[in-house]
Amino acid sequence: MRITENMSLSKKLNILSDAAKYDVACTSSGTDRHNDGTGIGNCVKAGICHSFSADGRCISLLKILFTNECIFDCKYCINRTSNDVERASFTPDEVCNLTIEFYRRNYIEGLFLSSGVWKSPDFTMEMLYQTLYKLRTEYRFQGYIHVKAIPGASPELIQKVGFLADRMSVNLELPTAESLRKLAPHKNRKNILTPMRLVQNGMAENKQELVAYRNAPRFVPAGQSTQMIIGATPENDFQILNVAEALYKKFELKRVFYSAFVHVNEDSNLPARGDEGPPLLREHRLYQADWLLRFYGFEAKELLSEMNPNFNVLIDPKCNWALEHLEVFPVEVNRADYYTLMRVPGIGYKSASRIVKARRMGVLNFEDLKKMGVVLKRALYFITCNGKMMYPTKIEQDYILRNLLNVGEKLPISVTQMNYKQLSLFDDYHFRQEQFMAEAGKKAPIEKIIG
Amino acid sequence: MKRVYVCNDTITGIFSGIYDAWKTKLGQEQLGIVLKGCIDQELFCEYAEVVESEKKTIAVENLIKKHMGYEAYWEIYHAVLSSDKEKGDAILGMMLEARNIPQSKKIMQHLSHPKVRKVFELSRNVSNEAHYYREIIRFRELDNGILFSQIEPKSQILTCLGDHFTDRFPLENWMIYDRTHKMFLVHPESKHWVLVLDEVVNEEAIKKVSVKEKTYEKLWKGFFESVAIEERKSYDRQRQHLPLHYRKHVTEFQ
Repeated sequence: MRITENMSLSKKLNILSDAAKYDVACTSSGTDRHNDGTGIGNCVKAGICHSFSADGRCISLLKILFTNECIFDCKYCINRTSNDVERASFTPDEVCNLTIEFYRRNYIEGLFLSSGVWKSPDFTMEMLYQTLYKLRTEYRFQGYIHVKAIPGASPELIQKVGFLADRMSVNLELPTAESLRKLAPHKNRKNILTPMRLVQNGMAENKQELVAYRNAPRFVPAGQSTQMIIGATPENDFQILNVAEALYKKFELKRVFYSAFVHVNEDSNLPARGDEGPPLLREHRLYQADWLLRFYGFEAKELLSEMNPNFNVLIDPKCNWALEHLEVFPVEVNRADYYTLMRVPGIGYKSASRIVKARRMGVLNFEDLKKMGVVLKRALYFITCNGKMMYPTKIEQDYILRNLLNVGEKLPISVTQMNYKQLSLFDDYHFRQEQFMAEAGKKAPIEKIIG
Repeated sequence: MKRVYVCNDTITGIFSGIYDAWKTKLGQEQLGIVLKGCIDQELFCEYAEVVESEKKTIAVENLIKKHMGYEAYWEIYHAVLSSDKEKGDAILGMMLEARNIPQSKKIMQHLSHPKVRKVFELSRNVSNEAHYYREIIRFRELDNGILFSQIEPKSQILTCLGDHFTDRFPLENWMIYDRTHKMFLVHPESKHWVLVLDEVVNEEAIKKVSVKEKTYEKLWKGFFESVAIEERKSYDRQRQHLPLHYRKHVTEFQ
């Protein structure tokens, strides 16, 4: 503590934003709130990104830790107690001032306040509460606030904080209790799920209050989220996706974030450090599947199975599903219902709703579909317009797969900068090229497929 | 013979042109609108100068709201702000097409018509651009306490930003200057915003920032650096999300 007293604000900000950057959640969505005319700030339902950092991730909130002092010793975390890093803490006023002054200049959409566990979970949560209380009442801040619930903090404190924040999150950290025990000895499944359940119940109660009293204070209006680290432990994609699905269904989470494991510590319990970098393609496939769960009506067991527990590195989860279920294709664009259309590769939920509306005004052809944003080079194997396919094609797994691989997939640039070989270690350790070839029933060399 | 109306690139100009064209009761093939200064003279066309008036504008606005609904009205409003040369023609074409379909309020769903699609695209471009500026406008505090920002957008998006920032900073004096179109959006404390045209910016005054300004600029730049993860660095991805031409007046890229 003696060190932090003399530390400049810019030094503190440097240390505590650097320590917070591994948290992926930086969304500012979920609340729509107008300013009441007495303070500063509002919230926009869809959220607003204000900038993009050098790694291409969006900056929406002032993402900082309150302190990086921590009594826990999680193996993957840079701030663990056994690490010798420079420690710093803000005061509540410093956090408030930074938030307001950054917000006035339109740098940020609000505050993301996390923290290391300082002294005890309750003590830390109390500091977070004081900060938010000050920001909301003294500084009249009405913008977005995302705050972490500290595992192990008392229910009353979490309840109090929930009425000040827009979104709360507790990080699940690792997909299974087993891995958690190994890598985060001070945390356990129960400690993490308890606050999550608490927030869920609080939101349900609050919903009823709001029905009775329209102006009742709102409890975590933007819902809660969580995050899992991918690639630090041996879970497969099927397990991870099942956990995510359970969280959406049983805990009514708004978002589950996946964070590709970045090596910051040396520890015998962590995977060996190679030169392949974080498993970004795997993270990308999980996000793709996550979207399918949330917006496209898919279930985890449709996308993966015990037999086939990892995503294909070569094609996206939706294409993969379609190739396994060729019996439902082709679908007729002018007649198929919304949910069937959404399952077609190349048709997203936006273009599906455009199609449903536009076909009331007239019969659609392939040219119209293209203009509406359908990716025909993927969709053409799965749809008909007025009973005709775009080109004469075979509805055959190998044939379609070959062609889909030929047109390639538009991966985010960050993912494509690495090559497939580098990814094979953690990304998809069950994946064998020969096995894939056997499944596809093709004898051509693999280079030809990828090329 | 096709009749083409020549009008100014303003809301009043374009709506007056639509008013005149609408009055003739001719069909889609026989009518057109071009903006002054971008006429490609065609054969077999009759060009007519539009006389602008507030009355015509209001009449057209009411016509749109009443018969095509508010959804279409906002699409047209955004399309008018676009920098596209054919916007007037597209809007007129869409309005004429709305007469031909049974429920004219559903005109925006008629995306297979080229003019409707054009208006839809223009509107989407303008509102996307407006959204970009909602994100990347950066205010600087001048020494008189006013929050000042300057931008160089392609479309005339200032009016799309007014409500958003008024709701956000009701107790601040702020101002946004559009360098491309030489327009100001001005918001005095606790009042409604106004659009100011035909004024010249005082280049000296906007350079005098407050004492605190430099400190917070530095803090922000420091935060911007430290929040990036070294192992995931990707300037291409950054550029994909935030193209270079938007960065000109953004604090952290200077």
